[in-house]
Amino acid sequence: FVSYQVEILDWKTKKQLCFLDKVEPNATIREIRLMLHKLYPQWYPSRQSIKLDPKGKPLRDEEVLQQLPVGTTATLYFKDLGPQIGWTTVFLIEYTGPLFIYFLFYFRMPFVYGLDERFSSSPHPVVNLACICHSFHYIKRLIETIFVHRFSHGTMPLRNIVKNCLYYWGFAAWVAYYINHPLYTPPSYGKKQINFAVIMFLLCEAGNFSIHVALSDLQRNGSKTRKIPYPTKNPFTWLFFFVSCPNYTYEVGTWISFTIMTQCVPVGLFTLLCFIQMTIWAKDKHCTYLREFKDYPSLRMSIIPFLL
Amino acid sequence: MAASGSGGSRADNGYGSQQPRRRKGPGALATAYLVIYNVVMTAGWLVIAVGLVRAYLAKGSYHSLYYSIEKPLKFFQTGALLEILHCAFGIVPSSVVLTAFQVMSRVFLTWAVTHSVKEVQSEDSVLLFVVAWTVTEIIRYSFYTFSLLNHLPYLIKWARYTLFIVLYPMGVSGELLTIYAALPFVRQSGLYSISLPNEYNFSFDYYTFLILVMISYIPIFPQLYFHMLHQRRKVLSHTEEHKKSE
Repeated sequence: FVSYQVEILDWKTKKQLCFLDKVEPNATIREIRLMLHKLYPQWYPSRQSIKLDPKGKPLRDEEVLQQLPVGTTATLYFKDLGPQIGWTTVFLIEYTGPLFIYFLFYFRMPFVYGLDERFSSSPHPVVNLACICHSFHYIKRLIETIFVHRFSHGTMPLRNIVKNCLYYWGFAAWVAYYINHPLYTPPSYGKKQINFAVIMFLLCEAGNFSIHVALSDLQRNGSKTRKIPYPTKNPFTWLFFFVSCPNYTYEVGTWISFTIMTQCVPVGLFTLLCFIQMTIWAKDKHCTYLREFKDYPSLRMSIIPFLL
Repeated sequence: MAASGSGGSRADNGYGSQQPRRRKGPGALATAYLVIYNVVMTAGWLVIAVGLVRAYLAKGSYHSLYYSIEKPLKFFQTGALLEILHCAFGIVPSSVVLTAFQVMSRVFLTWAVTHSVKEVQSEDSVLLFVVAWTVTEIIRYSFYTFSLLNHLPYLIKWARYTLFIVLYPMGVSGELLTIYAALPFVRQSGLYSISLPNEYNFSFDYYTFLILVMISYIPIFPQLYFHMLHQRRKVLSHTEEHKKSE
């Protein structure tokens, strides 16, 4: 039985932050994080990035000291990731905002369209429908955040929430402004266009939800190992035959349908930005899958079947 | 203005252990292309400079010189859009986003303000930014040319990292004054604006947009300026040390 010694240096200044004596060989990085936290209470574990190399990748909580390429005196590097916030908290704030902001415009609060239009309602049924769909979308997201999603990382940097909220809340306001405007013009092809859009919307929401449930089921036993998602009995999951990230595919579909329903350029712009962002995420995920699994299905693209 | 590089290739094999990072520079063909590009741009902006001087001498005053260099200005400033592609294809180690931002702001001023609002073309503020741009670009493109040929005279390096101290505020002033001069004409003509109701359920007020552009200079300009000052200290002091050690 040999006990280890661990010294932790600041990744930039290389100054020694602490020296841990008599560390057990089977100690995990999580335990080392807790030890560092005791010495530096302001650096709670989720804020600590511990690495073997100052410019390398951070070590995971589960890694065991004696399985790392270190001698009995290990040198680890510490980087402060800044204040962290939990993913669940972030999503709840991000998604509740648009829900309420849209209502401010739908109910025509006096400060939005002027005192003359305060609390009036639109003569167009599609405006009511749009409010129902928009609200449904964000309520669904809130429910998924609380009951369905399992996050691989616990936290993200605090400054992200400002950026993300500006984006979601800002666009919600911009979009809601035009749809609920007294001078709003309903879609050119009338009921046909709206009905088509509603059906597409419902199908995509159902699809998106199915995929989220399927992905969550993969991680059921709390194991942290990644598995390849496969189509299940649910027809909505059959999109897995063709793409790695059908949840993003369905999400883009939802916003396309909302654009068609409202025939509103700002919604279209939001859809475009969503598409770009989700394509980046999907390609990233797709590459990760290809790297990790030698037998990954070759027919699959990242977000659009056969194309992207 | 050079931005931070992002061209290195990753050499990460899990534990980030030491493998030397190989920086992929442009190949021989790309280098030749870039040299030609930078030479052409240097020549182009020299043409604009000469055009300004000749027009000044011919007219006897510095007013309304824009008209004599309008075409080469539009051509060579718009040509700078290629630099975004250079970053995107990795033959230049700068950030695509930063380069796009800088080039687009120049192109915006050239086409969406100066070209589109004819009434401002005779303003003196136009001369202010045209002169600032011209001197800056001549130095910048010759800097790149010499750097690519691995033979950078200290004078060019010094000029690039020193003259901006005057040229940058000069250019910004010219740009802001020009946008400000354009405002009443935009308001009057409703240029590039669309109002409700319309079947796209969209509205855009170019007048308000221009005001927002002007306001955006307030946070952006100091950041870029101090970044260049910081670069100056790094680059010029580094050369001093080299000289001392000889």
